Amino acid sequence: MIELTINGVARKIDATPDMPLLWALRDVLGYTGTKFGCGMSLCGACTVHLNGTPIRACVTPVSSVQGMKVTTIEGIAANHPVKEAWKKLNVPQCGYCQSGQIMSAVALLAQKHHPTESEIDQAMAGNLCRCGTYPRIKSAILEAAQKGSK
Amino acid sequence: MNHIEGKTRRAFLQESGFWLGSALVVSYGGQLIEKAALAADAATFAPSLFIAIAPDGKVTLVCHRSEMGQGIRTSMAMLLADELEVDLRSITLVQADGDERYGDQNTDGSHSVSMNWTRLREAGAAAREMLVAAAAKKWAVAPESCHAQAGHVYRNASKKSLTYGELVAAAAELKVPAHPKIKADAQLRLIGTGQPSVDLEPMLAGKSVFGIDVVVDEMVYASLERAPTVGGKIKSLDSAAALASPGVLKVVRLKGIRKYTNNAVAVVAGNTWSALQGRRALKVEWENEAVSGSTELRAALEKSLESPGKNFRKDGDFEAQLQGAARVVEARYHAPFLVHATMEPLACVARVLGDDCEIWAPTQDPQGTLKDVAKLLGFKENKIKLHVTMLGGGFGRKSQPDFVLEAVALAKELGRAVKITWTREDEIRHGFYHPESTQRMTATLDKQGKVTGWRHRSAFTTIARLFDAGATEPAGFEMGMGCTNFPYHVPHVLCEGSSAPTDVRVAWLRSVCNIFHAFSVNSFLDELAHETGRDAVQLRLDMLEPYGIPEWDKKSTPPLDTGRLANVLKLAASQSGWGRKLASGTGLGIACHYSFKSYVAVALEVKMKGSKLQVTRADCVIDSGRIVNADSVKAQMEGSMIFGLSAALYGEITLKGGMVEQSNFHDYSLMRMPEAPKIRVQLVKSDAPPTGVGEPGVPSVAPALCAAIFQATGKRIRDLPVARHLS
Repeated sequence: MIELTINGVARKIDATPDMPLLWALRDVLGYTGTKFGCGMSLCGACTVHLNGTPIRACVTPVSSVQGMKVTTIEGIAANHPVKEAWKKLNVPQCGYCQSGQIMSAVALLAQKHHPTESEIDQAMAGNLCRCGTYPRIKSAILEAAQKGSK
Repeated sequence: MNHIEGKTRRAFLQESGFWLGSALVVSYGGQLIEKAALAADAATFAPSLFIAIAPDGKVTLVCHRSEMGQGIRTSMAMLLADELEVDLRSITLVQADGDERYGDQNTDGSHSVSMNWTRLREAGAAAREMLVAAAAKKWAVAPESCHAQAGHVYRNASKKSLTYGELVAAAAELKVPAHPKIKADAQLRLIGTGQPSVDLEPMLAGKSVFGIDVVVDEMVYASLERAPTVGGKIKSLDSAAALASPGVLKVVRLKGIRKYTNNAVAVVAGNTWSALQGRRALKVEWENEAVSGSTELRAALEKSLESPGKNFRKDGDFEAQLQGAARVVEARYHAPFLVHATMEPLACVARVLGDDCEIWAPTQDPQGTLKDVAKLLGFKENKIKLHVTMLGGGFGRKSQPDFVLEAVALAKELGRAVKITWTREDEIRHGFYHPESTQRMTATLDKQGKVTGWRHRSAFTTIARLFDAGATEPAGFEMGMGCTNFPYHVPHVLCEGSSAPTDVRVAWLRSVCNIFHAFSVNSFLDELAHETGRDAVQLRLDMLEPYGIPEWDKKSTPPLDTGRLANVLKLAASQSGWGRKLASGTGLGIACHYSFKSYVAVALEVKMKGSKLQVTRADCVIDSGRIVNADSVKAQMEGSMIFGLSAALYGEITLKGGMVEQSNFHDYSLMRMPEAPKIRVQLVKSDAPPTGVGEPGVPSVAPALCAAIFQATGKRIRDLPVARHLS
């Protein structure tokens, strides 16, 4: 049994130790907001926060997060400045990669309140979007940074 | 469209072609009302198969188009909400399940808005008129003295009003108007504006249900090891280690259906990870058919260009021109296989119990899929229930039924519900690829450098094989995507097509054959401009004159208008600052293309830093006729720039011995945020009928990019992807 905290709730996971956190979240606990995209840490669709740091859940064995705090897309409040900015700019198209995009953006802004465009590029480079929402994601992060500082 | 005078709602639904082709309705006859999902509650007012208004005023719209990011659920709701006079956000959307009564549900070809523009607006208007008539009857006044607004009917002269909910029972007894009057343009509140997606809230909450997210009772999870080549057979299988792997329940051999699926070994487990681990432990050897690779295919395509292929268009006498021309210019272009790489890999949940089958799938084509499932199981289609989920990207890949057929076959074998999840490697190696192609372009010029003759030989692996396994030549619909509908006025035009067999499956990918045809036509025009010392925009504008409908397209609805193509080109040129002085190592390229009845021009600016390329800016102009959701057209153009750039810069699937060599995003690269240019989109205001949006933005990107690179470096790239030439 692996014990951890997910979105502030203590949970126990009955899984083989090598199971990636991604599949434990999705198949064992039912947090399907975190997405599978590549399984190799190449696309960022599975991004969650581990003790506040963005990680790729697809390559993180569940045994390695014992006792830690995991935050998923379901744990980010609907009125979080990032989600508000996403709404205002109507960012998503198909929406599939957006959980990971939002988790990366939230982590970036927690660390850097006013990122430059190039810092946004660097922080978001690991998150692929096949629909091509990058320009809106970038604008939304700048928007959220502005709102967050008020 | 048929107009039915003086019939009741029931008769209307049974007989009318108001919504559906009458043939479809006739085939269902009297069962129509009883089986309409929305009319299940007797108190509900369902003036058409697609719309229901409940006594509490709740409006439900059946969306019979698949949502894959193009925003169609929002556009459909906007069409209805505007005419029905209700709040857009108050509409509940129900996804249609593939039932024939909803008409063609195949979400492809960028035609969802054009097919629903009139009929959905008329349906909304008919319901509105019935609600107004019901209120007028209650008040014993003329309907003309009442009006509908925001879910209420008002009596103009007084402050009296009734909610739609209060009126549904009375409205349901009324006759459906034969000629519902849609709003005049000035009365429209929503159509033409920009509206955020109706699905935003669940998407941002992580609550949208994509195919891969579906969970049903008693479900198990599976991963499939497929034969690496089409037709490959199992030579030996040792599943002992797989069965011993934790959580693995069963190993099942699945026989392929050559057209769609490969022979495979399914590992079934209690969760996805256990299934994947079990799959890794399989010891399987495959016996592959003798198959060829990319080198052989390309050689065959190139060779076919040496001789005349099948003639698809012949204006004048090109061959005679060739003999007497002052100058002949020729170039060849090549574009590789591409794969869709939808962010949601393929996934499907299926349950087959006795003679009932239930499926949850992110499919673009529920009806085609139902037919194939019925054939596979030997069931009647009405014994199969298909739920269409949200699609995590489609781009044509999810029009294919292969991933559903696999899940159904396995579910039948297991006698319980199963979810099959494809890995990224599966998705890239077992695709229905965009065809590889080679183009030979030949132009004859007179002494002044004017183009007098145009020969376009196009060779590619034909998609016609989807319908006719023995197809050896391109189909007319493929050549019509950018080759035979060459919009420029040249007196002598010859379009010829040929094909070469390949051992992988080919099918639709966003904008289809327009990708390679727009690349070769535009690149060649750019070369001709350079060769004759003319401006690339002016050369095109001159060749598009006289503006209007060319003789050869007079019978199309709507026909091509060369003036509209010239217009988007001029606008893109102006927006991009065409003609301005550029810094050294910088290039500005432009291209325009007519596809899916829409007109698009794209100008791209690139900067070279050594051999490193940065696309700095994209200017895109589209004329797609009337617009429903301006924001979603803009989003589609933004996305098309990125999609087109991914393909042009990196996209390449290669084969060795019939096996795909790429496997994941490290060797099938997509554009990432730091590489993405600033994008500016301009929408042309137009009164023309609405036309395609999802696909027509893509084709102009590759030729504009290569023209820009030529300007920046002097290097002409005729062979995609671009990345292969920059190192």
